[in-house]
Amino acid sequence: MKIQPLFTGLEPTPEPKGPEGEAPLYDLVIIGGGPAGLTAAIYAGRARLKTLVVTGPLPGGEPSNTDLVENYPGFPEGIAGGELARRFQEQAERFGAEFVMDEVTEVDLSERPFMVRTPSAVYRARTVIIATGAVPRRLGVPGEEKFFGRGVSTCATCDGFFYKDKRVVVVGGGDSAIAEGIFLTKFAREVIVVHRRDRLRATKILQERAFANPKMRFMWDSVVEEILGDETVTGVRVRNVKTGETSVIETDGVFIYIGLEPQTQLFAGQLELDEWGYVVADRHQRTSVPGVFVAGDVQDPDYRQIVIAAGTGAVAAMEAERFLEQEQAVAE
Amino acid sequence: MALLDDNVRDQVAEFLKDLDGSVRLVVFTQDFECEYCAETRQLAEEIAELSDKVAVEVYDFQADAEKAKALGVDKIPAIAVIGAEDYGVRFYGIPSGYEFTSLLHAIRTVAAGEPELSEEGKRFLAEVDQPIHIQVFVTPTCPYCPQAVTLAHQMAIASPHVRADMVEAMEFPHLAVKYQVMGVPRTVINETVHLEGAAPEPMVLDKVREALEGQ
Repeated sequence: MKIQPLFTGLEPTPEPKGPEGEAPLYDLVIIGGGPAGLTAAIYAGRARLKTLVVTGPLPGGEPSNTDLVENYPGFPEGIAGGELARRFQEQAERFGAEFVMDEVTEVDLSERPFMVRTPSAVYRARTVIIATGAVPRRLGVPGEEKFFGRGVSTCATCDGFFYKDKRVVVVGGGDSAIAEGIFLTKFAREVIVVHRRDRLRATKILQERAFANPKMRFMWDSVVEEILGDETVTGVRVRNVKTGETSVIETDGVFIYIGLEPQTQLFAGQLELDEWGYVVADRHQRTSVPGVFVAGDVQDPDYRQIVIAAGTGAVAAMEAERFLEQEQAVAE
Repeated sequence: MALLDDNVRDQVAEFLKDLDGSVRLVVFTQDFECEYCAETRQLAEEIAELSDKVAVEVYDFQADAEKAKALGVDKIPAIAVIGAEDYGVRFYGIPSGYEFTSLLHAIRTVAAGEPELSEEGKRFLAEVDQPIHIQVFVTPTCPYCPQAVTLAHQMAIASPHVRADMVEAMEFPHLAVKYQVMGVPRTVINETVHLEGAAPEPMVLDKVREALEGQ
């Protein structure tokens, strides 16, 4: 297997920038380094806004977790998720956006300039784009926490190798579950998809491939109730939601793809969230706080596509630019 | 054929342009090169071409066994990243894919000899007076892994008693079995303490503390 050297080019931790009173001021601070944040950075850089991207823990965002992206236009052969993310970033850097690989621990959106804090620095921002994305949802069943990283995973590209000739369970029925399930058949001898409904939600082309794959099996109308094992994962207890019957499937690993949860804990109480925790946005990607915009999966419970995240990122940056211009005009 | 394309070469040259000191990439391979040994050596050589402060030394794991032993190198391919002194920064297996970034960060911080850690972390590590061996298991396709590797390497730079290895699990499957690696990154400290996932600095420091107390 040939693996290309991939240079994400990020600082592990930025230089501390001094006390709060002297925190550097940016026209725009983008929180999140996935497709939404990086696209916003491309547009903001070209608009000559002084722009900082605080990337968060996963450089490139969710695509970095994806083996192959086949539905982003312009790449007819498909492109590795990590490589696509790297190109997004390279393009943003070309137009002058600054990057720090750090996690935002606190924001204050109550007065302007806004304040964005990381463990090692504080930044002030005339405008903010929230592009924190969403993280894989967990099952919340016994055994999951105990075995997380030791037989339970949400990253097939990371951990697939450890299941060579083994049997794995994939939980879920959407695009991620099926695409990553197919990917896992490169290693595993058998992939059992456990899905709570009687049909898949995944894109038809993925369904066709999954049904044609001799290594894949499906357990319909079933939910995982417990992950079993002593030292290592040995099985999952599954309940049929129609009959109520439970059974145990032997497995060496469990990959969970049951959707995503928006990353909005930082903003709770500071701007309007919907009942599921997504940031509420209008069609111009404006939030309930003037000067704060939002893009990508953190405001999108429905589609979660790279192309849409990128699109909303572009809108958010253009609106941030317009907001600053209007403010400038009023001041003059 | 070059491993680094022109585009990546430009970025690497830019990244390495202001190194604070000289760095040696001490590569261990063998006469009949193992699957990734040749590529690991080539990768180190291509990086060295891009900075006049980076040099490559190639040793044979068998013929230069003394040298390997002196550097604590017990498997190949291996790269020891050595600056003004040997901080104990090691890569076992090819640092390709996402780990290429870890290698470049290691070069830059070893050149500076100054770890990128919090003041509190530096203070704690300065007081460590017993050996700490951190092994971070990775796969090259794991986007979360460089964070764990880089943090471990920073800790090695911060203390003469800490050494830190990246271990590419696919190339050392027996170690993956031995240390029960079923997911990456997995950090093993002094054989006893385990940590799953890319954890923030304070959490890893707690694990180092735990390993010290267990001794």
